[in-house]
Amino acid sequence: MNRLLTLLRIQFLNWRLSLAMPVGLLALILGINLAIFASIGDAAPPEGRTTGAIMSIYIIIGVGYLQSMTQLFPFALGLGVTRRAFYSATALLAVVEALAYGALLLVLSLVERASGGWGLGLKFFAIDFLVVDDPLLQWLVYAVPFVAAAALGIFNGVVFKRWGQPGVYAVTIAFSVVLAAAVVLVSWQGWWPQLGGWFAGQGTTALFGVYPLVLALLLGGAGWLVIRRATP
Amino acid sequence: MSELAREPSAQRATNPVSLTGVSKRYREVAALDGVSIELTENTIHGLLGRNGAGKTTLMHILTGQAFETAGDVRVFGEHPYENAGVLNRVCFVKESQRYPDWFVVRHALKAAALLYPDWDETFATDLVHDFDLPLDRRIKKLSRGQLSAVGVVIGLAAQAPLTIFDEPYLGLDAVARQLFYDRLLADYAERPRTIVLSTHLIDEVSDLIEHVVLLDRGRVLLDGDAETLRGDAVTVSGPSGAVSSFISGHEVLHREDVGGMARATVRGVAERPDLGGLSFEPVSLQQLVVRTAQSRRDAEPRRRVLDGPVGAGSANGNGGSS
Repeated sequence: MNRLLTLLRIQFLNWRLSLAMPVGLLALILGINLAIFASIGDAAPPEGRTTGAIMSIYIIIGVGYLQSMTQLFPFALGLGVTRRAFYSATALLAVVEALAYGALLLVLSLVERASGGWGLGLKFFAIDFLVVDDPLLQWLVYAVPFVAAAALGIFNGVVFKRWGQPGVYAVTIAFSVVLAAAVVLVSWQGWWPQLGGWFAGQGTTALFGVYPLVLALLLGGAGWLVIRRATP
Repeated sequence: MSELAREPSAQRATNPVSLTGVSKRYREVAALDGVSIELTENTIHGLLGRNGAGKTTLMHILTGQAFETAGDVRVFGEHPYENAGVLNRVCFVKESQRYPDWFVVRHALKAAALLYPDWDETFATDLVHDFDLPLDRRIKKLSRGQLSAVGVVIGLAAQAPLTIFDEPYLGLDAVARQLFYDRLLADYAERPRTIVLSTHLIDEVSDLIEHVVLLDRGRVLLDGDAETLRGDAVTVSGPSGAVSSFISGHEVLHREDVGGMARATVRGVAERPDLGGLSFEPVSLQQLVVRTAQSRRDAEPRRRVLDGPVGAGSANGNGGSS
């Protein structure tokens, strides 16, 4: 446990970059969106005043974990850290960080709703399909996708450390092939209406709180199998 | 091949590093081929060999970063792979060490300080000053020499019971390299520990290292006490006939003939007789290493046809080119 806490501290040695940068970028993106919607005035109708820019914070966090695997992992291994310790610490950090960012987004979504969309009727955080009534569930709806983004970054980083760039290509191609095959199958069988209906029936909590968690657990488990024989 | 490998097993169990028949194969290539060595405690070991001899592979296996395909690897009596109890006591500084892009020098040193219980902050500060390292500069922006200096500072200040330097001097100028050797030796004298120094700058470290392991094409060519090895070999020169009769029956590492005169480097000759105009010169560690590697290549059956002509030597190692 002591070792895990030490590794967490090492992750935050450059806290300005690890912590302030994602939050700063989020503020910047929010600011840009506020400026745009303020400047276009009534050109956008009320139902069109929604932006998906919140997605960027998830991508930023995922890329951070990717770099953690490709750069911090080789460094830590040279300093006598085991793969197990590094991976556990990274997974722990992903959960803690997801809860923290989830809480931040929850607070900001409450502010957004209370302020009438920052006085502009803008939906940046409290996008319709993300909103649930229960605050605790709302927290998870924001937090769990962070875990999935981190798991995606970690998994890609681990594949890169184990098999290099060809490995990343292979995984990407394999994933694309499976996805394309699924699309062909669904189209061929004419399942699109059923699929759409299924998604519509799932509800926000399942779509953002449960399935991403399943994805994260699968990727996390697969990543562990891969990292065991990875060389720095 | 290795004298030390024949030590009793009780002794072996206590050595920080004990390898028995360790091999590492990548498809058809053997990076390590049946390596058996013992690295004793509180000694500076020189791991020597040409590029591609298997030095880095060996060090990666010692630190659980690469995996042997055969043989027994013991570090502090246990297998190092994913072994926190062992790896906590090992610091591995390699020439190609990757640092996170977002680290400044201070962060890298702080990380090492957090991970090594015996980290010596005062020593680290002194070394940073000696090497003139800019603490707040991004590691990405450092010169090659400064990057090497970061590794040197970490390796020395970590005070790990087993410290491994893999060609840590890349880009360091002669003055900085001497500084590294001086600081290493002074600190080692005060606080002995087990140090493995992989290098091909043999002359520079020959006064530093106490035990030599010479690797060539994944095999151990020399393994012994540095002092003994140096005394073990001699270069003799004189009239061809006299040289030939003197060296017959000994292991000839190298021989060259010019006119009626010959010059040969031989191992295992204790006496220096005053006869027939023979003269003797001591052999430096570097010469010994170079000559040993050369003679083994000539004597060894070719592993690959592309390597050159076959049959340049005879089985007993006496057939040096002439």
